[in-house]
Amino acid sequence: MSEAESGTATPDTEGAAGRDVSQLEHEGDVAADYLEGLLDIADLDGDIDLDVENDRAVVSVVGDGLETLTGSNGEVLEALQELTRLAVLRETGERSRLMLDVGQFRAQRKSELIDLAKQAVETVRSTGEPESLGAMTPFERKVIHDAVGAAGLRSESEGVEPRRYVVVLPA
Amino acid sequence: MLAQALEHLVAGIVEHPDDVVVRARQQRRGRLLEVHVHPDDLGKVIGRSGRTATAFRTVIGALADDRVRIDFVDVDER
Repeated sequence: MSEAESGTATPDTEGAAGRDVSQLEHEGDVAADYLEGLLDIADLDGDIDLDVENDRAVVSVVGDGLETLTGSNGEVLEALQELTRLAVLRETGERSRLMLDVGQFRAQRKSELIDLAKQAVETVRSTGEPESLGAMTPFERKVIHDAVGAAGLRSESEGVEPRRYVVVLPA
Repeated sequence: MLAQALEHLVAGIVEHPDDVVVRARQQRRGRLLEVHVHPDDLGKVIGRSGRTATAFRTVIGALADDRVRIDFVDVDER
């Protein structure tokens, strides 16, 4: 943690876009320190990959046997992402939208959700009725909205967390 | 290991990381981890509607093989 404190954001004079990327890279570095510390203490093997995607820092802990840090429904992953964002906020003074993935959990869940969205779109197209999906996390709902939009239909979220869910709407 | 993990997670988000101390106590109903933080950081570790406290409990609960209770107290209550 003390290491993270010495690494302040690199000053950048190349304009807004360049500064954004270097800020996001700094977010990734702070997140990596925080997570590496946890992996060490918990004696878990994992490597940390850093990336920037769609104006967000993406931090992926990769390795085997990391299910402990995801939980069966991703609830541990969401909690860890929340804490990691707070660790970044403490270091940078800025709210972070960084995305954390552990053991490819989000990547796999994403492809399952895209299939689910495609099925729902087909159902709605054939029945002409709105189709409600089960309760999902904000990440999961975003994947569904994006996939439904890509298939040419609209969707909206209804209900209250943690029971918020997506409804796919007929054209 | 749990107390150390919790101390790391808490110290990483507060303004006064050096004041963070986690004490493990064995209680009749299981383990208790008592998190002591600087008074100014208590709100931060609990979070709005207890959201941050819940996140700590979820992560530590996942690392534990039995039931663990976590209490947050400020250092003045030592």
